[in-house]
Amino acid sequence: MYLFANATIYIGLALAIYSLLIMTLGISTKNQKLVNSGKGGVIALFVCAGLAMSSLFYLLGSSQFQYEYVRDYTSSELPVIYKLTALWAGNAGSLLLWTFFLTLYMMMITFSRKMNGNPMIPYIISILLANAVFFFFILGFVAKPFLLLDQIPTEGKGLNPMLQNPGMIIHPVTLYLGYVGLSVPFAFAMAALIMKNMDDFWIKMTRRWTIIAWLFLSLGNIFGGQWAYVELGWGGYWAWDPVENASFMPWLTATAFLHSVMIQERKNMLKVWNISLIIISYALTLFGTFLVRSGVLTSVHAFANSNLGLYFLIFMGIAVIMALYVLMSRYNLIKRSAGEFTSFASKESSFLINNLLLVGAAFAVFWGTIFPLVSEAVRGTKVTVGTPFFNKVEAPILLSMMFVMAVCPLLAWQRSTIKNLRENFLLPAIVAVIAMILMVVLGMTKAWAVIGYGVIALLLVTHYLEFYRGVKARRKMTKENPLLALYRLTVKNRRRYGGYLVHLGIACITMGIIGSQNYDVQTMKTIELGKSIEINNYRINYDKLDQKKEGINDIVYAQVTVFKDGKRLGSYEPEKVFYGHWDQPSSEVAIISSFKEDLYIVLSAWEDDGRATFIVKVNPMMSWLWIGSFMIVIGSLFAVWNGRYQNVTPRYTGVRREVF
Amino acid sequence: MKKNTLVMLGGFIIAGAIVFLLMAATPGSSGIELTMKQLLATQGQHKDDFVTVEGLLIEKSIKWNPDKIQLKFDVKDNDGNIMHVVHNGIKPDNFSEGVITILQGSPTTKDTFKAETVKTRCPSKYEGKDMKDYDPKKHEKLLNQPPHEK
Repeated sequence: MYLFANATIYIGLALAIYSLLIMTLGISTKNQKLVNSGKGGVIALFVCAGLAMSSLFYLLGSSQFQYEYVRDYTSSELPVIYKLTALWAGNAGSLLLWTFFLTLYMMMITFSRKMNGNPMIPYIISILLANAVFFFFILGFVAKPFLLLDQIPTEGKGLNPMLQNPGMIIHPVTLYLGYVGLSVPFAFAMAALIMKNMDDFWIKMTRRWTIIAWLFLSLGNIFGGQWAYVELGWGGYWAWDPVENASFMPWLTATAFLHSVMIQERKNMLKVWNISLIIISYALTLFGTFLVRSGVLTSVHAFANSNLGLYFLIFMGIAVIMALYVLMSRYNLIKRSAGEFTSFASKESSFLINNLLLVGAAFAVFWGTIFPLVSEAVRGTKVTVGTPFFNKVEAPILLSMMFVMAVCPLLAWQRSTIKNLRENFLLPAIVAVIAMILMVVLGMTKAWAVIGYGVIALLLVTHYLEFYRGVKARRKMTKENPLLALYRLTVKNRRRYGGYLVHLGIACITMGIIGSQNYDVQTMKTIELGKSIEINNYRINYDKLDQKKEGINDIVYAQVTVFKDGKRLGSYEPEKVFYGHWDQPSSEVAIISSFKEDLYIVLSAWEDDGRATFIVKVNPMMSWLWIGSFMIVIGSLFAVWNGRYQNVTPRYTGVRREVF
Repeated sequence: MKKNTLVMLGGFIIAGAIVFLLMAATPGSSGIELTMKQLLATQGQHKDDFVTVEGLLIEKSIKWNPDKIQLKFDVKDNDGNIMHVVHNGIKPDNFSEGVITILQGSPTTKDTFKAETVKTRCPSKYEGKDMKDYDPKKHEKLLNQPPHEK
């Protein structure tokens, strides 16, 4: 098994190098045989990565503790699901997962029906193969997943209890799918540039792939936030930690790209900008990995320090320099035939603003993240900027972005006339203002919150109008019943309405963020048995402190009864779990969730005499965060779903090459 | 062409606004990160600063006052320097001997750090934990013992 597992890695490395060489040779000599051999190499590579993954799964599942990785992350009594998911608990395993996804994507591109016979394939695959070489190299020489120990331990160290949560099963997977996914648009962009071909086909395919990567990246961040919320017991979901920022930055730039590429599609503008966005997004994924794995920044997330990050930094440097070189050498070509702006109040300019805001937001995050490093280099002290910095900077940027998002759907392409503006905006603006006045009357005094919710109201109305008008126009012609009309309308314009759904999702998330950031209430109290804590209109009665056993885990729990406005909501048990093999307990919070707010109860300490210390939080509108996330998923899936839709991806029509 | 330039100009204004926002927000919300050695040597200078410092927890020194919800403990660094920490809050989850604590707050008085936040980073968070000091009895003891030993 040891030989076999290691063989998959090294053969994979050899295959990746071989395929890369043969592919580039095939391209330069225009020899189809060589290119086909390279494609065969892609299959073999996928098989290798798949076998390596299965081997590690097998070793983890059967608890073969003679392997370092198995010993370090599992123990024999761990539930099977966590034994298997320990695959991405550590450095080597998570990189293996990354490699596997990369080969998976390569397979999908090489043999997809849409790409059949497309001369871009060899170029795309070569670029992805270069990535694969890097990852197999890392697996083979830096972070080896299949290391044998000198002695066979009888028991493993167990999985960190914080990782024993459903959120942690799926969060890394989605995040990696997103990270790897972003290398696909990058490969597409580079291939297009090298071939001096930037047609519709390129844009459509790249957009699809970017949406997929974007979706996974969003999911990764959301699952991460949710895990933090339910597992860590601090009642928050986002801390602007370097590691979180690392995954937020590419998300922002990818979002910017998804929007600006629409202008390119329609107007043939912003081509250099778009390519740059792709390069930046891709580079940021590598940079993020560098941050996470190198330990240069103080982070609660940090993986074990290793020189792994350095390799990523070098690889990123090479990739960026080469990408820039290709971009520069094709600059004149791209610059040609670019469209121009014809009006300020148009979709184009609103997209541009949205782009600037998104990239600005990404830059602000970047700035805050690397600030300690920069200041250390310049002034000698590590100056840190904390959560307040990010909140102060990001809140206005993201709020203005929400505003652009609210306004944009109603702006026309090319130019919007005053009349058209008045028709479209009078109603939403009135509704938004009324909503804001209502909020103030009802006693909301925080300016940011009122403005924020006003903008969200505006967004909801404008997006509702989009659907409403679309359905109305359709019914005029077809006389269908409204629901059918809505269905047909959206299915015919998947990308557009999918996008709107995503917007609505973002609006919901923003609602949750504004609510929970501005109106959360927290209290921390030590009380005796039988006493109670009051917070807002809740009363929490502390009834009992007890302990129980679940498998090898000891659980200390407090039984509390929660009343709201005097009405009994039920009895809940915030716990501290002492996992076997781990000295330190971890909190299991009790969350009572409703559309309006979450009541969040943490049992943090207890004394001999039964007194216990609780942290109780009321987080308003938290559920909207998860509802919005759900809508984002539905919206993006809807947008990329390969059904019968009008904008069929056009066949490739660009320059012909001899090999494909 | 003129419109194009104007739109670009508008873009620059937005970009400028964002940069301005950055500059304006940086000083007010920034702090400095020091090693314990640096901090102890230059305590006086940093009285008003928001300081991030890392130290290894000394488990024996933990004093927990449940009624005031106040946590006192000492941290040390690898050179043997010791610093007292006061934190008005609760114990983080994995608060055990030798764990790396990330403290943020201000060094108000000599040798005492008033921490607004206390976070922990297990030196091996993603790298498993050493089994050699695992003691099955420990859980039981932990349960029956008040967290403050002294």
